[in-house]
Parts: sequence; structure tokens; C-alpha cells
Amino acid sequence: MTKPLVILEKVQKHFGDFIAVKEINLEINEGEFLAIMGPSGCGKTTTLRMLSGLEEPTIGEVRMNGQVMNKVKPHERDTPLVWQSLALFPFLSVIENVEFGLKMRGIDKLERKKRALEWLEKLDILEFSERDISTLSGGQKQRVALARSLVLEPKILLLDEPLSALDAHLVIRMQAVLVQLQRELGITFVYVTHSQSEAFAMADRVVIMGNGEIAQVGTPKDIYRSPQNKFVAEFVGRNNILTGIVSDVKKTKAMIETGSGVFSVILENNSLKKGEQASFVISADLVHLSTSEPKTDNTVYCKLISEEFVGSMVTLFLEDQNNHEFKVQMQERELSKFELKPGSKIWLSWSLKSTHLLEVN
Amino acid sequence: MLIKKIQKINVYAMTWRLPIIVWQLLFFVGPVIFMIAMSFFLVKNYRMTEAFEFVNWSKMFSKNYFWDSYLHTVTIASVSTVFAMIIAFPASFALAFKASEKLRRWAIFLLIIPFFTSYLVRTFSWFVILSENGVVNALLGYIGFGPYTMLNTNFGTLVGYMTLTLPLVVILQTITMASIDRTLIEAARNLGCKPLATIWRVIIPLSKAGLIVAAIFCFILSFGDFVAPFYLGGSQEPTLPILILDTTKSGQQWPRAAVVAIVMMITLFSVAFIGIALAYRKKAKK
Repeated sequence: MTKPLVILEKVQKHFGDFIAVKEINLEINEGEFLAIMGPSGCGKTTTLRMLSGLEEPTIGEVRMNGQVMNKVKPHERDTPLVWQSLALFPFLSVIENVEFGLKMRGIDKLERKKRALEWLEKLDILEFSERDISTLSGGQKQRVALARSLVLEPKILLLDEPLSALDAHLVIRMQAVLVQLQRELGITFVYVTHSQSEAFAMADRVVIMGNGEIAQVGTPKDIYRSPQNKFVAEFVGRNNILTGIVSDVKKTKAMIETGSGVFSVILENNSLKKGEQASFVISADLVHLSTSEPKTDNTVYCKLISEEFVGSMVTLFLEDQNNHEFKVQMQERELSKFELKPGSKIWLSWSLKSTHLLEVN
Repeated sequence: MLIKKIQKINVYAMTWRLPIIVWQLLFFVGPVIFMIAMSFFLVKNYRMTEAFEFVNWSKMFSKNYFWDSYLHTVTIASVSTVFAMIIAFPASFALAFKASEKLRRWAIFLLIIPFFTSYLVRTFSWFVILSENGVVNALLGYIGFGPYTMLNTNFGTLVGYMTLTLPLVVILQTITMASIDRTLIEAARNLGCKPLATIWRVIIPLSKAGLIVAAIFCFILSFGDFVAPFYLGGSQEPTLPILILDTTKSGQQWPRAAVVAIVMMITLFSVAFIGIALAYRKKAKK
């Protein structure tokens, strides 16, 4: 499970003067579901294309099973890709699309058909096997694209935002299909996306990329609760980020003076010195509301600016007297107790253990 | 209210459609009808007289030279089409996939330039190159070959046809292939297709419609061309356009020329129709 299948070592990709990938060191384990996430233009798709051989690294090495892959052409690799646009061949029927890769590998007609039909059945699209691609719905096309890649029985499947064109309810369904397939087959999935919900819902590990570099690698929980730096904290959203000067350092906590007040922050393995600048985060869902001033550390008096409802969850956007924005996330039924309106004043507070110090960068 | 509105829109639309309808009636439908009528006229004492006789049709259809000429024209226009499509393909492929967007635009612009100059002038310039003491034979002479007769042969006709059609075929092929979704080519490579094999596995199937349209244009232009077979082909074996000329010259046989013209039009319509049907054929599978 933890044997690295793919190793990217000091990999860079330049397009003329533009550096798409600055330097990446990454190990992808056998059988894991790895998501690479980041804003558009962060180099995540370029990284995936280097894995498939469609781009050659400018500097560095890509190794698979110990073999250096830099010069291996795409058609000589077993790294099928599921494209954002799906890239199904419109001039071929469903089954011909699925058979394409097998045909290129010189597998005879009967065997080809047998294997293609097996996969169409596995993905629940057997009844469409003779249909034209253009007659299928988005979800069905998605399954054809998956079947076309998986029929090759690869060790690794690359996916480039495959669900971004689907309706929201189909996305959830396909996520379940993907996770189940990955668990059943035990093959490695490398899944590129800009959607947090997709990455966090499916992946064993998440790689956050920004500006052609890896900002953090970790489990979804790591990324969510312990972002290493400001970039990750901001990208994950729903985090309150505060920056200030360290005014006091104790054994397990430090006091940090910010524009919104002095707050205590838990020290894990960090070493802080008095007078240094430091940033820390508090997840929006770990902030409490109260109508009277709490008798604890870490409190801020805020004004409600706006609310955002997603299902039964509410995100409140508030501001303190210095117009610093705070976010609070909670269940709608909890919120109703407070009877808040935009402009209402309320106290925010959080416990010491909800704080998380960021690395200086 | 509603009916009034619809009428208003229709009047508006009709006003815009009218010029093209008038144009088509005046310069296409009218002449065609006149030509069909003329094919039944008679020529007496070198003067055409109105009549309704099938004699022109039966005369032309019973002549061997008509059918020989028909077969020759279809053959040489087809050969020209095949050659033009094959010769143009590597150039179009390079322009579509290897050239930058900017270079491709320049190339297309340069390919349009031949149409600015008279086709006749371009045809005559081949004399300098192809004649017995022309450029090609002079060069071949240096290495001990020739001289070869290239003018007044079918080869000359083919060169002439392609002077007319090649730039257009390259433009049409380039535009078609440049508009292919590159992801599909990459997808094929990703699934194990070798670089060259993508041409007939993906690129040709994807650009089928455009390629067929280019071929249709090429055939139509060659089939109806009079200049190339007349000046470069020497009209020993007359093509149908030359047959029309000869027929009108010899004894003012306009009605018989009309018969030839109608047969040509039917042929071109059939080719265009079958071609378009092939180009946009969908699999009937449901």
C-alpha cells in the first residue's frame, strides 16, 4: 500500500519563459487515491500531463516502478487519462470507443469485444454499446470515458477534472462510482481538480498546488484542520486567518497581538520568538457565538455583514471594529437561536485548541 | 395583434431574401430553363429555330465521340482530384498541426493570392516551364534525360487543373484539420496510438466532411474547366467543355452543345449530392 509507484523528483516544466511547474517532489503510492488540487494555472494539469507523457519534464525525473519515464512516449505508456472534455471519438460507437486502446495494442477482435463488453457491463452502460456517442447523456459519456481507460487494466489512472461538466447531483453519484471502482480495482488514481468537495470526498491524500509548487501534501483532514501556510489556509476557505506580532511565548502557547486583539495560540512543534511576526488560523466551524461577553481568552466583538446558506449550513460573514473579516460556520437551527440580522452585534470566541499556527512564508 | 406581428416579420425577412432569390432566378434558374428548352430546338441553315424535337439528344447519345469524351473527362477530373488531395495533404497537415497560428494565417493569405491573377495567365506561364525547351527539360538535360513532351498531353491537362484547384484544396484541408479538437489526437496517443497512425485513426475520420467538400470542389472545377485541356492538354482527346466549344463552332449547333452542358450539370449535381451525403452520413445505429 505504501510502496511508491510513481516518483517525481525535482520536476520542472517550462514553456518558453513561462514556468508552469517550478519544482515538484512527490511520491505517489500504489493503490492510493491522490487528488491534486489548486487554482487554475497552478500547474496541476501540467503535472498530470507529465505523468501521461504528453509533456516531457524540462528538468527532473519522473519514475514509474523505478524506471525513468522522461523519454517514454505517450503511446508506449500505460497511463490512460480521463479528460475534462472526455475526448470520446465522435466517429466511433460506444463499444468502438472502449475497444480503441485494445485495438492499438494489437489484441484480436473477439478478445477485444469480450473485454469491452465486460467493462460496459461493470459501468452499467451495456445497453448503449452500439449507440452513437452524441446520443448519450453527460453521465453516460462519463462512464464510457472511464470504461475506455479502465479496459486497459492500467496500474494508474489519471483523471483531469472529469466531473466538472456534470450536473451537481450527477457529480455526487459519479464520486461514489469512482471511489468504489478505485477500492475494488486497487489501482492508483491521480485526480486533478479545483473542487475541494471532490478532492476531500474521495482522496486518501490531497496535494495542494499553487504557482507551480506544492504547498502541502496530506490527508483531507490534515489539509482542512492543519494548513501549513497562508496559501493553503486561504485556498481551503472557511478559515479565519489572523496575523500579528508575538508578544509572549509560554510552554504550550504563545500570545499574538493582532489588529483585532491579543490572542493565545497553541504551540505544537513550532518555535516562536517574542517580537516575531506570526499567522494563525481558526476554522470557521470552530468559532462560537454568544450574545454576552464570554469569560475566556480569544474573543472578538463583531458586526454581522451577511449570511450564506448552503443546505442546512450557514456561513456568517462578520467584521470587527477594524473591519477585519471573520467567518463563522454553523447549523442553521443553531443560528436561529440568536435572531441575527445584518448589522447585529455579537461576540465570537474560540478555544485555545482550535487555533493552528501557520508556517512563516 | 399576433398575426400582424408575424406578417411584419415575414415581410422583413422576405425583403432581405429577395435579392438572392431574384439573382438566382435571373442568372441561374432562368438560363438553365432556357438551356433545357434550347436542347430541343432545331438548327436550319445555320439558324436556330424553336421546336420541340428529341433529335439533338438522340444524335449526341448515339455518337461514340460523345461517350468517349464523357468518360475521358470524368477520368481525368477524378485523377486530378485524387492527385490534388494527396499532394495537398502533407502541406495542409503541416499548416494545420505544425505551423503557428500566425504562420497559418499568412499561408492561407498567400494561398488566396493566386486567385487575384488571371487563371489564363497562370496557365500560359506553364509554357515556359513545361515546353520542350522549357525550364524542366533544360534541368533534366543537364543530368542526361529528356527532352520530354509535357505540353499537349494529359499530363499538361492535369498540371493545368491543379493550378486551378490546388490552392483551394490546401486552404479547405488546412481549415478543416486546424479546427479538429487537439484533445482527441492526444487522447488517441494516450490510448496507445502511434503518432503517424493518428492520421488515419483520428484526423481523417474527424475531418471527413471537410475533406470530401474539398474533393467535390476539386472535381467540379476540373470537370468544368476549359482552359487547361485546351491550352495545356492540346485538346487531342477533347473534354466535355471543349466538345461544347467545337459543337457550337461547327455549324452553330447550340442545341447539341446544350445537351452536353445539361449532361455535365447532371453529373456535377450527382457528384455533389453523393459527396455531401457521404460527408454528413451518420451511423444509423440507435
